[in-house]
Amino acid sequence: MRGPDVPWYLAVAAFLFATGALGVLLRRSPLIVLLSLEIMLNGANLALIAFSRLHGESSGQIFALAVMAVAASEVVVGLGLIVAIARKRLDLDVDKLSILRG
Amino acid sequence: MIVAAWICLVAPLAAALLITLLGTGVSRRGAAYLATTSVLGSFAAAAVVFAKLWGESPDARSHPSTVWEWLTAGSFHVGLRILVDPLSVFMMLVVSGVGFLIVAYSIGYMDGDDEERRYFAYMALFVFSMLLLVQAGNLVILLAGWGLVGLCSYLLIGFWHERPAAIAAAKKAFVMNAIGDATMALAFFLLIQHRQTLNFPDAFAVGPGHGWLVNLVALGLLGGAVAKSAQLPLQTWLPDAMEGPTPVSALIHAATMVTAGVYLIVRTHAVFEQAPRVQELAAGLGAGTLLMAGLIALVQTDIKRVIAYSTMSQIGYMFLGAGLGAYANAEFHLMTHAFFKALLFMAAGLVIHALAGEQDIRKMSGIGRLMPMTRLAFLIGSLALVGLPPFAGFFSKDSIIAAAMDRGWYGYVLFAAALAGTFLTGVYAFRLFFIVFPGELSPFVQEHLMRGSHAAGMEGAHGEDDASRPHGHDVHEHTGEGPLSMTAPVLILAVLSVIGGWIQFAPLWHPVSDWLEPVARPLAEPTNTQEALASLFAFLLGLAGIAVAWMVYGTRRWRVPKYAFAQRMLEHKFYFDEAYDYAFYRPAVALAQGLGRWIEGPFIGGGIREIARAFRDAGLSTSRLQTGLVRTYALAIAASLAVITIVFVAVR
Repeated sequence: MRGPDVPWYLAVAAFLFATGALGVLLRRSPLIVLLSLEIMLNGANLALIAFSRLHGESSGQIFALAVMAVAASEVVVGLGLIVAIARKRLDLDVDKLSILRG
Repeated sequence: MIVAAWICLVAPLAAALLITLLGTGVSRRGAAYLATTSVLGSFAAAAVVFAKLWGESPDARSHPSTVWEWLTAGSFHVGLRILVDPLSVFMMLVVSGVGFLIVAYSIGYMDGDDEERRYFAYMALFVFSMLLLVQAGNLVILLAGWGLVGLCSYLLIGFWHERPAAIAAAKKAFVMNAIGDATMALAFFLLIQHRQTLNFPDAFAVGPGHGWLVNLVALGLLGGAVAKSAQLPLQTWLPDAMEGPTPVSALIHAATMVTAGVYLIVRTHAVFEQAPRVQELAAGLGAGTLLMAGLIALVQTDIKRVIAYSTMSQIGYMFLGAGLGAYANAEFHLMTHAFFKALLFMAAGLVIHALAGEQDIRKMSGIGRLMPMTRLAFLIGSLALVGLPPFAGFFSKDSIIAAAMDRGWYGYVLFAAALAGTFLTGVYAFRLFFIVFPGELSPFVQEHLMRGSHAAGMEGAHGEDDASRPHGHDVHEHTGEGPLSMTAPVLILAVLSVIGGWIQFAPLWHPVSDWLEPVARPLAEPTNTQEALASLFAFLLGLAGIAVAWMVYGTRRWRVPKYAFAQRMLEHKFYFDEAYDYAFYRPAVALAQGLGRWIEGPFIGGGIREIARAFRDAGLSTSRLQTGLVRTYALAIAASLAVITIVFVAVR
């Protein structure tokens, strides 16, 4: 096996995931939240592929492909929502979109 | 023969369904003719059955027929089973024959009513139900017919549903009957438990050693019979039932349904014979009712109510007969009573019809002059009711009275009561006749009839008057006494009331008794001397009653005796309504209100309110968790995930 060992990939994956999670939790702009979500997904993808390589079978990679497809559609919906919010001339701030408060 | 019996049963049902399903697709007249034809068809089929049965040997005249078993529980089977035997054929002939005449009469009586189709559908349904009752081959089918006739009675008493009194009367009849239905059902449960069958006649062979069981069953059956036949102590619904149209009173509340109790006792006589005390109770109740109803009839002022009390009184005679074990005599009286009581009701209906719905006899005086045929019919009916020879009542009633002499001291008490009843019958029947028909024309009658039958001749009264009838009417024409469809049945019944009794003259020939003997062997067989004695007494007392009525109401030579207390007593019908009101209705209402106030409000309602409040509070407090901040949710998800991960790792 060539290249770095699996733990290295996992470390990068964890770093990506944590970055994304922090972005989701801390940033207010829906656009950035969406971007951070993508980063989280990519972290997860990386971990999947790394494990797939560790175990020497391809199902993890196929799974990662599926996640990408889902991520793409999710971005389409999310961006659509953001555009709709912008069209309504509302602030692009997730904290202000709180009419679901109980 | 069995096929004919089924046709007899199903024809009126088919007519009722057709009228209902076709709706406005059939004209009002069409509905009337359909119903009439179907009942005539029933009668024809019943006649065929009778003829076939006649040709068989007396011991082989019992033919059950089951179409399908619709209830099976272990060894207990109930099928749609009819039984053709002399008793059921006898009843089929009476029901469909008299029923046909009365439904035909309704064509004229109900002409122009807004809801004729509904009326005829109900009438046909009633005839079907009554036939189901008398043809039933087991007690469940009998109970089904029993309940259906009660339903039809309810529907037809309340037929003019815009009148509150009619609705109240219908409800009263239904509730009173429901009491009887309940006791009957309880009796059936006992029989099911003990005999595992309700088929005739196996169900009745309870056998010795079950005294209490037999007595309970007999009491339950008697309760049903008493409620349906308006006998003491469940009699109060019948007079109120007169709110229905007059043909309904004639068919249901005089000729057929109310006599179902007598039929029930005769049909289940095997049970009653094993419970002689209960059978004596039935006879006693009959005697009590006939006296009480006869007394109340003396003071009533509504033409139909007088006849209704007379019906109660006559059914009292039938109960007396059935209770004494003179089954054939009771059934024979049932038949002749159907003739003359239907005749009286329909003649009264002619008067009411001519007077635009008026039923108060004090306004009717002198109407006989304008309606001679009706007067004759009513006279025949009254004479048959009192039981003067050669009219029908003489032959049937006197045999019942004679049967009472065969029973020791108790029999003589009943005998005296029955004779007193004969006297009362003479008085009230002819009080009614003398008040309504002879004498000077009352202003009310003049106003309603003179114009019609005199000025316009035979063309008859054009009905400006009819517009004022309580049941919304079109203008229609009738000759002086009514259209042919009304007068013809009255005439036929008048003839039957004269000659209908001749088929049995106890000492000399007794085909009715012979016919019914295989089904119900009589317990009491009065000797010829007793028959003659009873007839003599009944004849003299009936005549005395008529004479009293003649002196008081005909010539007005005697004044009506004034006993304020007695009069009040009778006008309030011995305070039965009031007593039931105080004994059952008011405590029930008070109990319900008390429960509502002290239980329902604080405990049940309060409990539910508390539970609801607890849930609402819980919801309010949890709803605070929903901040609406997306980032909070995300944090919560992340934190939960972290916790779950840690737990998984730690547990492994």
